[in-house]
Amino acid sequence: MSVVRSWSTGRALSLIVLLFAAILSLFPFYWMIVGTSLNPNDVLKGVLLPGKELVSNFAKAMKYYNLPLYFWNSIKIALLTVAFGLAVNGLAAYGFEKYPSKARDKVFGVLLLTLIIPQIALVIPMFRMFAFLKLLDKHAAIILPSIMSVFIIFFMRQNFKMFPTEIIEAARVDGAGEMGIFVRIVTPSMKATYASAAIYLFLAQWNAYLWPLIALLSDAKKTLPLAMASMMSAYTIEYGSLMVLACISVLPVLVLFLSMQKQFVAGLLGSVK
Amino acid sequence: MQTTTTFHRYLNRFGWLCVAPAMALFAAFMAYPILMSLYYVTRRWKGMTNTFIGLGNFVRMAHDKVFQQALGNNFIFMVIQIPIMIFLALILAVLLNQGIKRMRGPLRLAIFLPAVTSLVVVSILFRVLLQSNGMLNNILLSSGAIKEPIGWLTDPIMAKVTIMIAITWRWTGYNMVFFLVGLQSIDPEIYEASEVDGASKMRQFLTITIPLLMPIILFSAITSTSGTMQLFDEPNILTVQGGPFNATMTMALYIYRQAFYMNNDFGYATAMSYVVVLVAGTLAYIQMRLLGERRAK
Repeated sequence: MSVVRSWSTGRALSLIVLLFAAILSLFPFYWMIVGTSLNPNDVLKGVLLPGKELVSNFAKAMKYYNLPLYFWNSIKIALLTVAFGLAVNGLAAYGFEKYPSKARDKVFGVLLLTLIIPQIALVIPMFRMFAFLKLLDKHAAIILPSIMSVFIIFFMRQNFKMFPTEIIEAARVDGAGEMGIFVRIVTPSMKATYASAAIYLFLAQWNAYLWPLIALLSDAKKTLPLAMASMMSAYTIEYGSLMVLACISVLPVLVLFLSMQKQFVAGLLGSVK
Repeated sequence: MQTTTTFHRYLNRFGWLCVAPAMALFAAFMAYPILMSLYYVTRRWKGMTNTFIGLGNFVRMAHDKVFQQALGNNFIFMVIQIPIMIFLALILAVLLNQGIKRMRGPLRLAIFLPAVTSLVVVSILFRVLLQSNGMLNNILLSSGAIKEPIGWLTDPIMAKVTIMIAITWRWTGYNMVFFLVGLQSIDPEIYEASEVDGASKMRQFLTITIPLLMPIILFSAITSTSGTMQLFDEPNILTVQGGPFNATMTMALYIYRQAFYMNNDFGYATAMSYVVVLVAGTLAYIQMRLLGERRAK
């Protein structure tokens, strides 16, 4: 594209547009981080230089807003969902892909159909079901329904297609059991797929709001998003401490994203392939 | 022969074993709720008891102004916000793709970053930034751009704009990444050939880039449509329970409020959730058909 290269005003202009977009994208993060060190009034007014309240904001978040408890609740729920989700969905995707049968393909088709159903349509019967099972206000109520994900099964199945069936057959000839083949041969070579699925499952659960809002009732069970949302409905809002909670909530995702950008984007793009 | 069939049967059984845990969870948390909803949708709740009312819940919607407003708001968000966002994402992707190579990585990263924040955090950040005595109004007031603070959260029209700004901030970079992947799969020779023919950048964008990216654009439109039909976190937190005066009430939020907040009318809420499924399903179907026609060409 030699024409573009020589057309320097155009390039300068496009760089300006992109820089502007980048600044708009990053600014709320900057403001959120600076906000952790400001008093509530300065957060609101929009002071953009760090203040001196970091320690007291953090102390308040720990003491009055139970940050460690909410963080622990969130991380526990998210990690258990990831662990069970990878095991269940990975095995199902493998079964659908490497043990082809007409009956299972029909089942898979039914699974895909339910992708169109929005969560809001499921939460009412689920609420009554969990109430009946006496599981409301328990973390199990959040973890159990999030383990099986049709999208993840679909995504992992697409990736299992790339695993050569000949290797499975060869291992079979060598006398390996079916489960052994899956656990010892297939899974280790699909690490990238599992990483993408793990990121997707983690994000969805870490950021979940609607279902936890319905199913978790007591303060001690709340996750970070619920805790932040209820801070917003308080009579006086401690903006500085709120920014501490917001930072803590964004931080793990940011670290995950920056360290595994490739798998992260692959997870997002999985559905396009 | 006998051994092969037993072996096949064994493999088939193992196949079922693989999918069994997922199927059990599917039955419990997807199939069962769907079946139960068929029962709820015909009932009317009064306190703890409920009675059969047939299609009465659907009749009720015809007289429910808030329901109609919520459905209308979902459509407004969809029709205005999605095209703007897709256009912005497309422009940014094209600029990034032809821009300076060394800058591409960091810029893409920066513009994508909003997509890793939770909707709750996005809603909270924007609600604080857009308070009437908040930062954005302060900047606009002190720069002389406005004389009175803008009611970002209190004016019925501006509140809708606020929701759309927040969604656009959160999702533009996300869609841009899809478009970038698409752009990188376009053969540069197509552009070179059209340059030889004297086509302008604008013409190339309209006649090469957009048609070749159409499947991805439609994919973005489908996922965005289904996301917009499910808007919940933003109107509940950012504009405080769909306010002001239900100006940002959405279907998902109204269903939630009917079922869990106001009068525990699970039947009516279920009936409304059927409308959401119907609308989301129809729109997805239309868009898929468009996509299918494109692919067929």
